[in-house]
Amino acid sequence: MIEQFADGALMAFRLDTLVMIVIGLFSGMLVGALPGFTTLMAMAILLPLSFFLDPLVGIPFLLGVYKGGIFGGSIPAILVSMPGTGAAVATSIDGYKLTQKGESRKALDIALFSSVIGDTFSDIFTILLIFPIALLVMQFGPPELFAVLLMSLVIIVSTSGTNPLKGLVMMLFGLWLAQIGTDPIGGVERFTFGIFELKSGIPLLPMLIGVFALPELVYAVMRSQRAQEFAKLVGDRLSKAEFKRCIPTIRRSTILGTAIGIVPGLGQVVAAMMGYSAAKNASSHPETFGEGEIEGVAAAEAANNAVNGPTLVPLLTLGIPGDNVTAILLGAFVAQGLRPGPQLFEEQGTIVFAILVAMVMANLMFIIIGYLSIPFFARIVTIKTGLLVPIVIMFAFAGAYVFRSDTTDILMLVGFGLFGLLARAARFDVMPMVMGFILGGPLEYAFGQTVAMAGSTPFEFLFTERLGMVAVLIATPIVGYLLWRRMKSATA
Amino acid sequence: MFLKSLKRTVGAALVATLGLGTAAFAEYPEKPITLVIPLGAGGSHDLNARVITSIIPQYLDQAMIVRLSPGAGGQKGTQEVANAAPDGYTLLFSHNYIDMLQQHVENLPYDPNTDFVPVARVNYAPIAVVVRGDSEYNSFEDLINAAKANPGSVDMAHSGNWGALFVPAAQIMKATEATFNLVPFQGGGPAMQALLSGDADVTMGFPSTLSSLVDSGKVKVLATAGDERIYEDVPSFAELGIGGDVGFMHRVVLAPAGTPDDVLAKLSEAFTALQEDKTYNRMMGRLGENTDYIDGGKYQMMRQEQNGAYKDLVATITQ
Repeated sequence: MIEQFADGALMAFRLDTLVMIVIGLFSGMLVGALPGFTTLMAMAILLPLSFFLDPLVGIPFLLGVYKGGIFGGSIPAILVSMPGTGAAVATSIDGYKLTQKGESRKALDIALFSSVIGDTFSDIFTILLIFPIALLVMQFGPPELFAVLLMSLVIIVSTSGTNPLKGLVMMLFGLWLAQIGTDPIGGVERFTFGIFELKSGIPLLPMLIGVFALPELVYAVMRSQRAQEFAKLVGDRLSKAEFKRCIPTIRRSTILGTAIGIVPGLGQVVAAMMGYSAAKNASSHPETFGEGEIEGVAAAEAANNAVNGPTLVPLLTLGIPGDNVTAILLGAFVAQGLRPGPQLFEEQGTIVFAILVAMVMANLMFIIIGYLSIPFFARIVTIKTGLLVPIVIMFAFAGAYVFRSDTTDILMLVGFGLFGLLARAARFDVMPMVMGFILGGPLEYAFGQTVAMAGSTPFEFLFTERLGMVAVLIATPIVGYLLWRRMKSATA
Repeated sequence: MFLKSLKRTVGAALVATLGLGTAAFAEYPEKPITLVIPLGAGGSHDLNARVITSIIPQYLDQAMIVRLSPGAGGQKGTQEVANAAPDGYTLLFSHNYIDMLQQHVENLPYDPNTDFVPVARVNYAPIAVVVRGDSEYNSFEDLINAAKANPGSVDMAHSGNWGALFVPAAQIMKATEATFNLVPFQGGGPAMQALLSGDADVTMGFPSTLSSLVDSGKVKVLATAGDERIYEDVPSFAELGIGGDVGFMHRVVLAPAGTPDDVLAKLSEAFTALQEDKTYNRMMGRLGENTDYIDGGKYQMMRQEQNGAYKDLVATITQ
C-alpha cells in the first residue's frame, strides 16, 4: 500500500494534470461566484469532457471545478451578503460585516486560507484513515441522523444572537416553511392551498438571496446618501498575526467538519454552523462575533470545507455516491474504467492514490490562484453605490430565476426580501429561520424513516438497537442549556 | 455609390428575412432544442442527457440544451413541457414511473395520456433485487417466504414513494402476495448504504452500479428484471413467475401533443441515427447504460399497457 501510494504520488506530478487543475479551479471559482449557478451544474456539464481525457487529467479537472466552486460561493457572501448556497450562510455573517468595515480583502484572505487548510487536512486525514472511516460511516443510520440534526438545531438557537427566545421563534417559523409542499414520505400536500407552484416546496435560493442580500441593498442605498461608496476601502491583506490568532479556530473547525462529514447526510451547512457556533462559544470575546470577526469567517469556512474529505469515503470504498456531487464523480470514475468499490484499492490502488494526491495538490495550487485573484474580486465593492447596487440587484433576480427557470421564484425573492427588512426592523435574526428551513426537511425525513424502521415495536427498537440515538437525544437539552448559560454570562 | 450598396444590402436583408420565413416550415430545427429533465442534477437522467446532447447535434444540425427542472416528484418539469408550444423546440426527458404511474396516485395538473407523444425510448435500466452478502436469504424464494411468514418484518429500502425502486418492490409484492416494510431513503445510494449497514434487509439496484459490490461479495443478487438472465446464476423475474414490463426503468423522450408529424419524423430520424453512432455507444457503455432503442410509435403501445398495469398496481398496494 505504501508503495502504491509512492507510485501514485509520482504519477500525479504531470504538467497536463496541473494545467487542467488550474483551469478547473478557475472556472469553478467563477461559476461558484455567480448566484444561481451551482458547482453541481458546472460539473454535470463538464463531465462528458472528462470522458475523453486521461483519468489523471479528467478527474483532477472535475475536482478542481468542485473545490474552486465552493470557495467561489463565499465571494458574493462576503462582498454583498449574497450567499448562493446554505454552506455560505455562516460565512456571510462576519464576512459581510468585514466588507462594511472596509476590510473585504482581509475577509476573502481568511476565507481562502481557512477553507484550503480545512480541506487539505481533512483530505489527508481521509487518505490515512479511509478504512476506519468507512466502518464508522456504517454506524450512522436515519435514527442517529435525526438525533444529531435535532441537536444541531438546539445548538444554533442557543448560540444565536442575543435573544434565544427570538431565535427559537424564527427557527420554528423556518421549520414550518420547510413543511410547505408535498410531504416527502407520505406524498400528502401541506399548506399549499391548492397552488401548484408551492407543491415542490419553497426553493432555498430565493430565500437566501431575499433575506440576506435584498435588505442589505436597501440599507446600502439609504446609507449612500451620506457616503458615496458601498464600502470605501478594500483594506489590507491578512497579517501574519491575524492569521496566527485564527489557527486554534481553524484547527477546531477542521476537526469538527471532518467529524460531521463522516455522518452521512449532514453535510456542509451543518458543519459551517457548528464550526461557527463552537468558535463563538469558545471565544473569550463572543460579542465580536457577528460584528466583523475574522475568526467567524475562519470557523465557518474551515468547517464546511473539511466535510469534503470524508464524503468521498463511501464512494471510494463502496462505490456508493452519498450526494449528487459524488454521483458525478462516480460517473467520471466508471467512465475511465475505474470501478469505485471494495476492490478499488486492490485493483487500481496506484491510480486512486494518484487522484487523491492530485486532490491535495489542487488545494495547494488554489492558495496561489485565490491569493492572486482576491484583489480583483475585493475591488468590486469600491464601485460607486449608484452602479453597484443595480448590478447586484440584477444578479440577485437573475440568480433566483435561473436556478429553476421559474418566474414564481422571483415573487418568492421579493417576498423574502420584504420579510428580511421587517425582521431586521423588529430585531429578529433571520439566521435561525434559514437554518430551520434548510435542516427541517432532512430532520423530518429522518424521523419518518425512523418510524418506518421501528415498525410496531418502537421502544424495543430504540433501546436495543439504537442506543446511540437515545444518548444523543438525552444529551441535547443539557448541551443546549449549558451553551445558553455560557453565552448569557459572556455577553451580559 | 454608397446609396447603391445600401439599397443592395436592404434588398438582400429583405430577401433573407422572407427566405427564413418560408424555411421555418420546411427546415426544422432552425434554433436550439431544449430538453427538459424533471429530475435533479447529477442523477442518471442528467448524465444520460449529457451524452445524448453532446452527440445528437450532428444529426439535427442544431444544439440540444439540457434544462433541469426538478420538483414535486417530476411534475414541475413535466407540466412545463405539457404547457410548451408543440413545435418540437421543447422536449421532455422522463421515465415511465413519472410518465404513466403518477396519474394514479396524485391529481396532476396535466394529462400524460393526451398531453404527450413519445419521440423515442432511448434506453432502459433493469432492476436487481439485492441482499447483503452475509444475509440469511440465499434465494428469491427465501426472501418471499420470510416476508410472507412475518408480514412487515423484512425491511425494503427504496428511493422514495412510487420511484424507480419502490415500483418494482410493489410489483413484486403484488405478484407474490408478500409484504415488505417499505423504508424510504433519499436516493438509490443511501438505500444501498442502508442495506450494507444493516438498517435494511433488502433493496434494489441497477446492475450498472452493482458490479463492484457483487464481485467483492458485499451483496448477493437474488433476481433481475426481464425474461433473460443478466447474471449467469441468478434467475430472471420471468423464471420466478413475475412476467411483463416489471422492474424496467424506461428513459424516454416525449414531445407535447400536437407536435407536427414532420417535426416528429425529423426527431425520430435523429434518435435512430444516434443509436448507430460509435461515440454515443462508447460513451453510454462507459456509463454502464445500454442503447436499446424503441421508436416512439412502438413505445406508445407500451405506454398504454403501463397505464393499465400501474392502475391495477396502485389499487392493490394502497387498498
